[in-house]
Amino acid sequence: MKFNTVIIGGGLAGLVAGISLQKAGQNTAIISSGQNALHFFSGTFESMEEPSQQLAELFSEAGIRTHYQAGVRLMPLGTFRPAALSLEDISLFPTSHFGKKVLIVNFLGYHDFFSSFLAEGLEKQGMSCRIHQLKLAQLEWLEQSPSEMRSVQIARIMDRIWDVVVQEVRVLLKDEDTVVLPQVFGLQDISVPGRIRQGIPAQVVFAGTLPPSVPGIRTQMLLKRRYELLGGTYLAGDEATGAHVHEGVVHSIVTKNLDSHFLEAGHFILASGGFFSKGLRSNPFQIQEPVFGLDVVQAADRSDWYQPDFMQEQPYMSFGVQTDAQLHAVRDGQALKNLFAVGSILGGTRPEMGTAAGLAIRSALAAVDQILRRS
Amino acid sequence: MNSNEFDVIIIGGGITGAGTQRDCAMRGLKTLLIERSDIATGATGRNHGLLHSGARYAVNDPESAEECIKENQILRRIASHCVEETDGLFITLPEDDLGYQQTFVEACRKAGIRADIIDPDLARRLEPSVNPDLIGAVRVPDGSVDPFRLCAANMLDAKLHGGQVRLHTEVTGFIREGNTIRGVHTRHLVSGEEADYYAPVTVNACGIWGHAIAQMAGVNVGMYPAKGALLVFAHRVNNMVVNRCRKPSNADILVPGDTVCIIGTTSTRIPFEECDHVAVTPDEVTLLITEGAKMAPALSSTRILRAYAGVRPLVSADDDPTGRNISRGIVCLDHETRDGLAGFITITGGKLMTYRLMAEIASDAVCRKLHIDKSCETASIPLPGSEEHSYEAVAQKIWETPSMAQKAAAARLGTSASHIQTSSRTDESLVCECEEVSVGEVNAAIERLDASTLTDLRRRTRIGMGTCQGGFCACRAAGLLAKASGCIEKEREGLVHFMQERWKGNFPIGWGDTLREAEYTQWVYKHVLGL
Repeated sequence: MKFNTVIIGGGLAGLVAGISLQKAGQNTAIISSGQNALHFFSGTFESMEEPSQQLAELFSEAGIRTHYQAGVRLMPLGTFRPAALSLEDISLFPTSHFGKKVLIVNFLGYHDFFSSFLAEGLEKQGMSCRIHQLKLAQLEWLEQSPSEMRSVQIARIMDRIWDVVVQEVRVLLKDEDTVVLPQVFGLQDISVPGRIRQGIPAQVVFAGTLPPSVPGIRTQMLLKRRYELLGGTYLAGDEATGAHVHEGVVHSIVTKNLDSHFLEAGHFILASGGFFSKGLRSNPFQIQEPVFGLDVVQAADRSDWYQPDFMQEQPYMSFGVQTDAQLHAVRDGQALKNLFAVGSILGGTRPEMGTAAGLAIRSALAAVDQILRRS
Repeated sequence: MNSNEFDVIIIGGGITGAGTQRDCAMRGLKTLLIERSDIATGATGRNHGLLHSGARYAVNDPESAEECIKENQILRRIASHCVEETDGLFITLPEDDLGYQQTFVEACRKAGIRADIIDPDLARRLEPSVNPDLIGAVRVPDGSVDPFRLCAANMLDAKLHGGQVRLHTEVTGFIREGNTIRGVHTRHLVSGEEADYYAPVTVNACGIWGHAIAQMAGVNVGMYPAKGALLVFAHRVNNMVVNRCRKPSNADILVPGDTVCIIGTTSTRIPFEECDHVAVTPDEVTLLITEGAKMAPALSSTRILRAYAGVRPLVSADDDPTGRNISRGIVCLDHETRDGLAGFITITGGKLMTYRLMAEIASDAVCRKLHIDKSCETASIPLPGSEEHSYEAVAQKIWETPSMAQKAAAARLGTSASHIQTSSRTDESLVCECEEVSVGEVNAAIERLDASTLTDLRRRTRIGMGTCQGGFCACRAAGLLAKASGCIEKEREGLVHFMQERWKGNFPIGWGDTLREAEYTQWVYKHVLGL
């Protein structure tokens, strides 16, 4: 099978690259092994502010609505972090004092939304809070299985019964100016968060839950849908296992499912993620990149991989694949001419490109730029 | 008697203290137990959880071996809900001397331990994880025991017999009258509240920290802190305890327990200052994996969940100040006859396995001082939770058609599982999916077993002990604690502390899937949840 570009990794970086290349007329394939970091995406594109025109267009064509204003955002445990480019349903505030009286509504039996932590955090900012546990008959069947009360399961139901929540909250609402709800709306039907905001006569804030992240999974689905609509080939559940490299040029990729049918292409993008996504693997002695055996920037001694303090930045998170200035991946000290490494597999090796979602997008667009300029 | 007056004060909430309190309370004494931290935080909770048959000591320390097998049989009766009757193998590998097997078996039999030489083929069938190259095997009545459950059950029974327990409370000094200890000054480490308690006898049951407590009382107990490092694997690779049939050495015991298995241990003398902060070194990790894989090759490719270490409270014999003659046996010191200090007893040495006997010896000493003539009943009366023998029968009795989570709870709590609320579906929803711990069980631990922090909850319910190492369950449980205590600020700090403590046992083995899980957890807690 022959493509213009083959992308390893179907997360944010891989999809942004794939969409951009398809838009430019390329024929591409994405190999996705399964879960990626979008499953625990906070809804905020870390280290990004206003999107470039190219990105804004890409998002809006995919149906992803974002916004940005300087200030803060509310975290699920009741703390605040600086604002960054965010999905539309993530509220951004000029200051952490965003209301006077707050009604926090959770669903009875749902333990992945932290109403008491939120209340304490908001009260610290001088807001007064009331917590209500909403009992909904429609959620009862979820409760029958002890592990079903989770964000995605609830969100599937909420796509259908969000108007019941609006009615219930309207009844509950006394003199509160703000309502905080768990982020379990708009999994498939992306209009839901907006309609809830219209239906409730108060400021509505959606606060995060334990993963899986509903806005993250929605973003993944929208990007994937857009990519496939543009004619991209998304190979779900497959995994790159090796590559044919000759004289500094990658010729093809071997995958688990395609067996002897190698994926050939003029360019390759490695967007396989960090440790969680298995883009990087580790054993007691070193950290490796498993597909190409690329050079990995790392501390030689394992005792330098960690900080004993859990809350400190961890050195291992900064380790990543070595690249040259154009993001060409380096193997045995030599840059591979048609292989670009993007996203979290870079770790902290390219600080100028930001972190997390910001790094994924910036590096993906930079690689796309290189590829299109050459072809 | 005033509310701050007792017959006996026990310092130390490990298994020895809890056992002593239960024994004294059952003999009708008014008891108070004081613990600086939580139950089972010292050596009690930092070992293999091995229900020794005594075979390990049979050759070199026959006295300990005999104590072990007697207590082994008693615990199967009185603590059935804390014990798994797995049996154990002592295997001989090609590099070991098969001649030792005969010496070993003879010594076992002399100590009263059943020891059957079995064909290596049979050993491979009984325990498929065992190194297939083995050239000899002996089957012995080893088992596994959950020290947290055992400690909690002892303390609960002491309370049911009128005993009082003060956790997170530190002894700041002794109340002395001439050469007699009359009581203790204490301070609650969370609230800062100070209180004095009085009793004619105080028992020092603080394990390695008993050294400092004795010093505070003005007497000296020559103790030698010996660190032992262990690894927990994420799967239950073996179903029987596996030992090496040779002189006791490093990393030669592999014990299955609940959903995991544990390899250990090492033995290194450490300074007293390090007892509060023992850490596992990379060399120890390497040694444990290499040696462990010789017994069960699958260990070399099994995910490691945690590394941890405990400190054995070894005691040197009184006439041997150099410490050369170190005993692992039980030491009970009456400081009145030994040092001229009345009203003070130290019980130390020993092992998890012989805690009940230690408690009996200490309680006998307490009763002698109080001129009370009551005999010990702890060898025959079952602990709360162990009135029924099979956890499945327990679960059936309570719930008719128990769910998996309810069976897991019954296995953890025995008949005490009947105290788990199941009035609503919310009570049945899971806080911890790795270990199947329900909201009801967490709430029961908060109400009935004195759990006030996440770490306390872990010891009583196993939340945070599974493969996610707290990644999911810690937040949920913190929410439930916040509801119970109403003090959210404290729970937020508790969450940081808990994750910190989990990380402490993860980073020494931070590679492979452990590092994957760590990256996920650290990212989610800091950048998604905003801890």
